Amino acid sequence: MTGYVQFVDTAKSFGPVNVVRKTSLGLERNSLVVFLGPSGCGKTTLMRMVGGLDEPSSGSILLGGEKVVRPDRRRGMVFQSYSSFPWLTVEKNIAFGMRYRKDLDAMQKAERIGHYLDLFGLADFAGSYPNRISGGMRQRVAIARTLAAGSDVLLMDEPFGALDALTRERLQVELRQIQIREEKTVIFVTHDVEEAVFLADRIILFSRRPASVVADIDVAAELGADRPLEIRETQKFFELRNKVLHLIRNETGVVV
Amino acid sequence: MSLSDGDSDLFSSLFVFRGRASPLGEFAVSVAAAMLVIALWELAARAGIIAPQFLPSPSRVVVALWTMLTEQNLVWHVAVSTARVWIAFLLAAIMAIPIGIMMSSYRIVGAALEPMIDFIRYLPVPALVPLSIIWFGVGEETKIFLLWLGTFFQLVLLVADDMRRVPQEFVEVARTVGANSRQVMTDVALHWMGPTLLDNLRITLGWCWTYLIIAEIVAADSGIGYVIWTARRFVKTPEVMAGVVVIGLIGLVTDQLLRLLHRRLFRYL
Ligand SMILES: Nc1ncnc2c1ncn2[C@@H]1O[C@H](COP(=O)(O)OP(=O)(O)OP(=O)(O)O)[C@@H](O)[C@H]1O
Ligand SMILES: [Mg+2]
Repeated sequence: MTGYVQFVDTAKSFGPVNVVRKTSLGLERNSLVVFLGPSGCGKTTLMRMVGGLDEPSSGSILLGGEKVVRPDRRRGMVFQSYSSFPWLTVEKNIAFGMRYRKDLDAMQKAERIGHYLDLFGLADFAGSYPNRISGGMRQRVAIARTLAAGSDVLLMDEPFGALDALTRERLQVELRQIQIREEKTVIFVTHDVEEAVFLADRIILFSRRPASVVADIDVAAELGADRPLEIRETQKFFELRNKVLHLIRNETGVVV
Repeated sequence: MSLSDGDSDLFSSLFVFRGRASPLGEFAVSVAAAMLVIALWELAARAGIIAPQFLPSPSRVVVALWTMLTEQNLVWHVAVSTARVWIAFLLAAIMAIPIGIMMSSYRIVGAALEPMIDFIRYLPVPALVPLSIIWFGVGEETKIFLLWLGTFFQLVLLVADDMRRVPQEFVEVARTVGANSRQVMTDVALHWMGPTLLDNLRITLGWCWTYLIIAEIVAADSGIGYVIWTARRFVKTPEVMAGVVVIGLIGLVTDQLLRLLHRRLFRYL
């Protein structure tokens, strides 16, 4: 098994409750992998272990061959809610990602902030507080902060779950573009099958708790790396979506 | 009900279920309601419905207040009381904030302190007066101690609660960008808690004033509580009421100032 992020016989229990069954899995560098699975199956737990926020009960997780033991800025989290700090402006929120970095001087930090403000179309909102901007903007801030921190693995836990359909679509397109351009590895958790197929290079489908891999779908092989919005209307996309839905029904033991 | 939302109709939104705010209109209503109560009170007193030693008229209370201001050093007594309240309150706050935060951050601190604090919190302050006199005598220490007692134990649990409510997401974002535990506390938790913390301080400061009378009845020779208590002994009801009104006014003004500070500090809300 190879990969940039590797689960090596990783298992997790909370007390007597087994949440993640012994799992081995390798995720390619610079790819976007979607974790799909029924509610409460252990997706967040898997992701938190990659982040170093939870420790596997047995086995380990490797990043670039190195064992993950604690959180650090190479792996950044983006959550659905409480994603940006309400007491900081957009600009300061992004700056927070570099707050504890000693390898950058003030000039370099300012430059990076400018870069990410532009990249996410946030320049006009630099001085605004999060509750004055839209939910989509807040998620952009959160992603920008993680990138500014210098993460090369983004751990995104249903980051667009609370957004309206249109904003969500825009952010999906942006995320995909930025992931390719900035060469990031993304683990993305979602319940939305369309979102999964549209974004993913690869979908890992998990069973009900305790989570174990029931399907591993190579989406990039079918749809390619480039994902313009129109791809959603193609036959291939529909077929893939239906295949995933079918797998969810038959393999995870969940009635959708 | 009109659908026009011109700001000329200052009062119409006040009658709508969950209507729009109208600060000026609401202020006018507050003042008018207070005036009405005072007017009714004055009328009741003048008509002799209630004996003046029970309920003197507002005008007599105002006269008493004036005499107390000009002849009985009321300002000094108020200053003494305010100083006592603030010293005790600040002591309580300085201790409660770090201790409360630690209680929710480290389980060992919480486990050690929470049951004890919960126990003491339910002890009525007056019941501890004798003990506090035995410990501290009848000087300033006893008064400060009693006021502190009434606020510290309440505040510490409120702070602990606020700390517990800091969203895990914020803590984890901070940790992934490299913050250590102390930095998570100072750079994230304290900021998140700021607004509720100031609210809780404002509320406990109010409680502190309610304990003032108890503290100043104990062999005091100064302070607004002492003034009220002395007036009571001579059944000078107007003076007693004037003292109570002064405490109420101080409370009202402090509360409004702290609310203003809240709006200033937390503009992002
Ligand atoms: N700290 C914890 N202590 C005990 N049990 C936990 C803890 N964290 C998670 N669990 C349990 O582990 C299981 C998996 O949780 P997890 O949050 O990983 O699921 P999920 O797949 O992300 O669910 P969802 O789709 O609802 O977000 C759940 O049953 C949950 O109750
Ligand atoms: Mg989850």
